[in-house]
Amino acid sequence: MTQSIDTSSYSAITEAIQAEAQRVLGDGTVTAVIGYAAARRKGSAQPIVISQADDAARLIFTPACVNNLAVYLTKAKKEIPRNGRIGIVVKGCDLKALVGLMGESQLKRENLYLIGIPCSGVLASTIQPDTELTADTLASKCRECDAHQPTGCDFVPPQLPVAPELEKKYQAEISRLEALTPAERWAYWKEQFAKCIKCYACRQVCPFCFCEQCLCDRNKPQMVETTPRPAGNTAWHIVRAMHLAGRCAGCAECERVCPMDIPLNLLNRKMAKELKELFDYEAGFEVNDKGPLTMFTEKDDQSFIK
Amino acid sequence: MHPEKTSHTFEPKVIAFVCTWCTYAGADLAGTSRMQYPSNVRVLKFPCTGRIDPVFILKAFQQGADGVLVSGCHPGDCHYIAGNFHARRRFAVFRKLLEFVGVDLNRLQFSWVSAAEGGKWVEVVTDLTERVRAMGPMTEFKELALEEQWSGVIDTPELKEAFSQI
Amino acid sequence: MSRIGVFICHCGENISRTVDVERVAREVGLLPGVSFSTDYKYMCSDPGQNLLKNAIQEQKLTHIVVAACSPRMHEKTFRKAVEAAGLNPFLCEMANIREHCSWVHENKEEATVKAVEIVGMMVERIKKNRILPGITVPVTKRSLVIGGGIAGIQAALDIADCGHEVILVEREPSIGGHMAQLSETFPTLDCSQCIMTPKMVDVANHPKITLHTFSEVELVEGYIGNFQVTIKKKARSVDEDKCTGCGVCMTKCPQKKIPNKFDQNIGLRTAIYVPFPQAVPNTPVIDRANCTWFKTGKCGVCQKVCGPGAVDFEQEDRLIVEAVGAIVVATGFDLYTIDEKPKGSAIKGYGEFGHGKIPDVIDGMTFERLASASGPTGGKILRPSDGKEPKQIVFIQCIGSRAREKGISYCSKVCCMYTAKHTMLYHHKVHDGQAYVFFMDARTPGKSYDEFWRRSIEEEEAVYIRGMVSRLYQKGDKIVVMGSDIAVGVQVEIEADMVVLATAIQPQKGADTLAQKLGISYDKYHFYSEAHAKLRPVECATAGIYLAGACQGPKDIPETVSQASAAAAKVMTLFSKDQLEREPIVARVREAGCVGCFACKKVCAYGAIEEKEIRDRQGNLIKTVAYVNPGVCAGCGTCQATCPSKCVELDGYTDEQIVAMIEAL
Repeated sequence: MTQSIDTSSYSAITEAIQAEAQRVLGDGTVTAVIGYAAARRKGSAQPIVISQADDAARLIFTPACVNNLAVYLTKAKKEIPRNGRIGIVVKGCDLKALVGLMGESQLKRENLYLIGIPCSGVLASTIQPDTELTADTLASKCRECDAHQPTGCDFVPPQLPVAPELEKKYQAEISRLEALTPAERWAYWKEQFAKCIKCYACRQVCPFCFCEQCLCDRNKPQMVETTPRPAGNTAWHIVRAMHLAGRCAGCAECERVCPMDIPLNLLNRKMAKELKELFDYEAGFEVNDKGPLTMFTEKDDQSFIK
Repeated sequence: MHPEKTSHTFEPKVIAFVCTWCTYAGADLAGTSRMQYPSNVRVLKFPCTGRIDPVFILKAFQQGADGVLVSGCHPGDCHYIAGNFHARRRFAVFRKLLEFVGVDLNRLQFSWVSAAEGGKWVEVVTDLTERVRAMGPMTEFKELALEEQWSGVIDTPELKEAFSQI
Repeated sequence: MSRIGVFICHCGENISRTVDVERVAREVGLLPGVSFSTDYKYMCSDPGQNLLKNAIQEQKLTHIVVAACSPRMHEKTFRKAVEAAGLNPFLCEMANIREHCSWVHENKEEATVKAVEIVGMMVERIKKNRILPGITVPVTKRSLVIGGGIAGIQAALDIADCGHEVILVEREPSIGGHMAQLSETFPTLDCSQCIMTPKMVDVANHPKITLHTFSEVELVEGYIGNFQVTIKKKARSVDEDKCTGCGVCMTKCPQKKIPNKFDQNIGLRTAIYVPFPQAVPNTPVIDRANCTWFKTGKCGVCQKVCGPGAVDFEQEDRLIVEAVGAIVVATGFDLYTIDEKPKGSAIKGYGEFGHGKIPDVIDGMTFERLASASGPTGGKILRPSDGKEPKQIVFIQCIGSRAREKGISYCSKVCCMYTAKHTMLYHHKVHDGQAYVFFMDARTPGKSYDEFWRRSIEEEEAVYIRGMVSRLYQKGDKIVVMGSDIAVGVQVEIEADMVVLATAIQPQKGADTLAQKLGISYDKYHFYSEAHAKLRPVECATAGIYLAGACQGPKDIPETVSQASAAAAKVMTLFSKDQLEREPIVARVREAGCVGCFACKKVCAYGAIEEKEIRDRQGNLIKTVAYVNPGVCAGCGTCQATCPSKCVELDGYTDEQIVAMIEAL
């Protein structure tokens, strides 16, 4: 018997964000609101940018609202100061990305109006959108979510999220892999990376891949082979995991959009785990002046150095 | 790139990324003191360990290195105030990543070798070379380089023949 | 298309003994891009360099690889030669086939193969080398000297005498520092004031020196040759321009019982005061914490009696900004506080010695004030408790110094000598007195120093006891000192009238804060760090900032003066040219790709990276990117390794160059 997750508050949340969006658009607090709207397929949702108060009624929040909308702020960040303050609907995990982006001078808090969602979880990418949310259909990232209730937002509906204790799949998988020999782990990742078709959807959807010129697209020198062959794929995913270390807070969008189902968030979770163990650092909870890899202490671990 | 010949006279390739002020000078001192060590190591000089990008380590393995050494000034000795502290953090994280994707960390050595530690340089280089020699060639990245996306396996006679003619 | 020339050096036989240099020259000659390769006995010799220069001309070479010794040895030599032949010096690289090859391998085949590969790597690297034009930075030929003790005074005078303007900033109301407090100085026993005050007056009168006393450095911006320094002139409450220094205000001030810090708090002063009669400038300061006017709003006597009307109760702190090209830091030392354990510090106090509790247990500097003719006792050695002359006096050395368990492991360097001096001064003033010294070792290196120390024992009858004091306590009006004489192996107990503790030298309080403002580094005790302990002892790692005196570590007067003059010489070297030339190994930002995450700025230890706004022709902000100030960048490249999109590149160590080397493997 699978445990069902109570999402009855989502309709009340929808009404609350509609009202709030209408208010902030109406009184000119913001010039646009990025949120979710119903899509064509039954029960599905898609991102939407509304700039008219009347459109606020189109906003929804359902278990199908999986996207991390923060990504729209990075790609369009040049437009933000020109267009005034922007409202954005954020789940706790999305908020972490925004916090990271603020720490990296990509966004300014005063340019944003954050509409937080007390989120009990969303559907896994492999599940049909109109499915009921249960422990089985829940996205893996939601099983280990530590930010169901977003903090520091301008508006959060009063409903409280439910957060059942569930087995942490990523942590379990990381532990499983850690127990293997290097050769076995290599075999595992080799198989995973071999699937990669270098569509770069993971890069496109990632809020932290905001570089205008990706290192991996460079050809003078070519740091990473660009063809979708195993060697280049492996290098790409290693470089990506390294670049996200200390920044990625686990929205798992990379994994959701990967057409080849490569467990990309597993790499990112592993790095987050290491950063927690090494430097007691967790990304996404507060706007930090410096990330874990742009600072140091004299007492950092050096047991691995001869 | 061709597959590594399986041969008992395996000579590992070892690449050392070193900073110019401490470890490079330490290696110079080993030379001035006429200390002897295996000739497998190739040294790449950087101004500071802070300049050493993790991608270089990856690149070195991809280019056929069997072992990689990263070495710089002891903490507090950095000619550039804090480059080695930043490097220490960066590599503490990067080695965990490599370990997780299945690279045997015995092939990757980090050390602090000061300009006065010619003996330590010899020890570090010799240890790594001999360890890697005992482990055999680093085949993982070399095999990857041979693989193609469309199958991953060369399993038909035509392909095998075509491959052998490369 | 590059035309690379490769030159293989035999280094006599140092290389050719284990490396087949001819084969190396032959094999690398076949590498793509190499149009000339040869070997020669001594490349660094004149004929060798000429061979290189001629080949550049004749073969029209565009890039040079010299395979020889370590670049740490001769890179400059060959780059100069290459420059003389008309090429940019950064189109020359060295392949180290001596220290890293021929000297460390015996097998000729192995060494030769390795040499070929080393040269091959450098050939690939040099194809990616770019012309790097030298960097010139304008130099503002004015300097700032922080600290007006003997170090700062000497440095300021030396620089000013060369005709360059100096801004001298002193925290206290008068310059002079600790040296002005001393009675007589070792090893010649000349009066400190007699040799010090003329220099102080010189500073005051020097047309090129601007003196800011009672002032502190607030903010330092900029870089070598181009610093902007904000100085806070604290409110003196006396107009420096109007005051004639007549001193009437001080004689009339009703607050007369304030302990004078200059006299180690055993002498007293008024609320409006100069710290000592020979103060420079001779302009008083109102100590607002103790002034009746500032406490109650009544009094104002000083203002009433001041003829020129210089007293100004309304005066406020002022900030002034000065542009300077070089900074000499000469903030000096402070004495170890024996009785108290500073909060949050690893340093422990010496409560067991009763300092602060037993009035006749004093520190060395207090003894100096007692012995000083201008001191609170007029030069008589008298006990602070009852004003009696001590007949038995005990000096205890190494209080704080060389005591790892107490938190300081270094030697304070001057205490052995000044204690010897104290025994002499004591013997000269108290003829029937007896001095005892507890010591660990006598450390007296220095011209005429050991002779001086011997004299204190042989002629001035000081009794030296090798051993430490375990305990001392008050007994009646005596202080019982218990210790051990380890030379004889007996316990010693002395009933002393006075005890003098030779306390350790420590950096000034707030040394760390100033270092952070200046961007210079300091050790765990907060002594400032020099760029190189032996070869660059007066320069900081931060270009354009120099050190003088005890702020760097314990020093005596001759050493301090030498270092101050050395620092001045360094400043003058910098000022000898209008433009400073720097090696162009600095980072550069590719603005087109920079997304302004400023990870580079966060890791830069030199503060070389700034934020730069890019605007279109209408003035609209397009984006904010990183900008590397080439005058400040030290060329470590940490920024580049940190930049996710590699939009900051370190010239001379670009990714292209490094990847070319890795790919050559």
